[in-house]
Amino acid sequence: MNATTKRVVMIVWVLSSLLVAMAPSGAQTTRSGADIAVVVHPDTPVSDLSLSDVRKVLLGERQYWSSKLPVVLLIRAPVARERDVVLRVIYQMSEAQFKQYWVAKIFRAEAASPPKIVYSNDMQYELISGIPGAIGFIDARNVRPGLKVLRVDGHLPGDKEYPLR
Amino acid sequence: MLRALSIFAVVLLAGAAVRAQGSPSADQGEQVRMLLERVQQLEKRVLELEARQAPPQAGAISAANEPSPQLRAQQAAQAPAAAGPGPGQHQHEMQEQQAATVQQMETHYPSLQIRGFGDVDFSATDQKGTTSGFNLGQLDLHLASALSHKVSYFAEITFNAHPTDYTVEVERNIIRYDYNDYFKLSFGRYHTPIGYWNTAFHHGAWLQTTISRPDFVRFGGTFIPVHFVGLLAEGNIPSGGAGLSYNVGVGNGRGSMINRPGDAGDNNDNRAWVANIYSRPQRFYGLQLGASVYRDKITLAGGDFREWISDAYVVWTKETPEFLAEFANVNHRKVLTNLSTNSEAFYVQLGYRLPWFERSVKPYYRFEYTHTPLSEQVFTNQDLVVSTLGVRYDITNYAAFKTEYRNFRRGIGEPRVNGWFAQTDFTF
Repeated sequence: MNATTKRVVMIVWVLSSLLVAMAPSGAQTTRSGADIAVVVHPDTPVSDLSLSDVRKVLLGERQYWSSKLPVVLLIRAPVARERDVVLRVIYQMSEAQFKQYWVAKIFRAEAASPPKIVYSNDMQYELISGIPGAIGFIDARNVRPGLKVLRVDGHLPGDKEYPLR
Repeated sequence: MLRALSIFAVVLLAGAAVRAQGSPSADQGEQVRMLLERVQQLEKRVLELEARQAPPQAGAISAANEPSPQLRAQQAAQAPAAAGPGPGQHQHEMQEQQAATVQQMETHYPSLQIRGFGDVDFSATDQKGTTSGFNLGQLDLHLASALSHKVSYFAEITFNAHPTDYTVEVERNIIRYDYNDYFKLSFGRYHTPIGYWNTAFHHGAWLQTTISRPDFVRFGGTFIPVHFVGLLAEGNIPSGGAGLSYNVGVGNGRGSMINRPGDAGDNNDNRAWVANIYSRPQRFYGLQLGASVYRDKITLAGGDFREWISDAYVVWTKETPEFLAEFANVNHRKVLTNLSTNSEAFYVQLGYRLPWFERSVKPYYRFEYTHTPLSEQVFTNQDLVVSTLGVRYDITNYAAFKTEYRNFRRGIGEPRVNGWFAQTDFTF
């Protein structure tokens, strides 16, 4: 092995070490748990949405269920699993990107307010059942009577093909 | 060479180590998650206990056909007689608590929100006659207020530093009525919906990846009319997976100073109009394509000119990678002589948010080109070629550092200029 080859090997080793040191750990991205149900106020005139439609609602591109019924977005506070799933599957954004997205959305005058933040399942249940047009995301094991669970791409939570998990 | 590389590696590793010490550990996050799960378990337990006291109800997932809350409230009001005073009173308290939570979280009108943007800049170039140094960027206040669930108000006010004083400018001032997603009508002063950049990024530098806007959409520039006073209709177009939306507006157009709209009235009887259509295809989340046209009659000391602006763009808004490309053509035709000129401008910007350092670093490159012919009678010459290479580092979710190297040539036969620029920008 001549000196040039040694240098090349050394450089590759240093760069590989750097990449390994800086790469995010896999544990931060793996999640497991129950399906996340999309729930709405019982009087909301929808029962089945495609994942793209859910995305449009969450991105604030669809702001009305009907001309008289505005969408009221509810989203769990950071660290809740429901929020992780919504950000990962629907928004496909990091926490920082999500915050920046809504600042920009309001700044562009495309929405007057960001999603409302809810801190517990109790609070979420109370708001969804009490505010017409409200939509939220709840661990399917914690869904209570009085909420309307939407099909997503034709599937309910628990179905094999259900996308929100 | 090897020594330099080793030193570089040590510095990077040291930086990564310091950053790792400064950020919350994964264990802490896991603890918070476990605590939240515990809270949810306790909530579930409370529910089970409540369920033992209350009459049984149907299963959860089949809840779509449950009676509405109003009906359940009526049932609850009738329940005490049958269920006895204990559970009935408890249920009543629960309902009161629920009503209080809902009332607290419901939007109250008007609901004014104020957000500010600011930046501090440094620049140094090798251009003769310029000096290096710091300067204050715009201080920008944005106001948004829902006046009802159908009517919203938006405003943007900037404070601008000048050699002898500050000026205050009303950049946007909009009141909008939403009929539904397909038709929203607004009146006021806008950023003209021509192309992408002019409406995606406003005065807050923090919103955009780079330090500055492309030259042909810069504030105070003349290439396109950045601002517009009038009315605008906008909304979605029922188009399935194509995800089409539109903006159509009528307004005063350019004023006698062509870099300003007619804020206090038009300078001729001809209204400008603008139409913009764009698509966000459902199958390609992150992709946006659009095209705009703008028509106006400009009245200047040298005569009347017909202006026809066309613009097209394609952008990929996800940051891995981020890709923005936009082209604009401005046609001016002198009414008296029919002499016509075309000026063109475009930019291509590519960025990539790196997966390391908690995804806080985004290098980028932008190429810009503007050409105005010598026969152009409305603009002064705006020929420009710029290459910008920079890095954005997000210090927090709401503040960033940016640094750029720029190489540019302005005007015909002018020398190339090299410059180094830095900026910290933030929202508050």
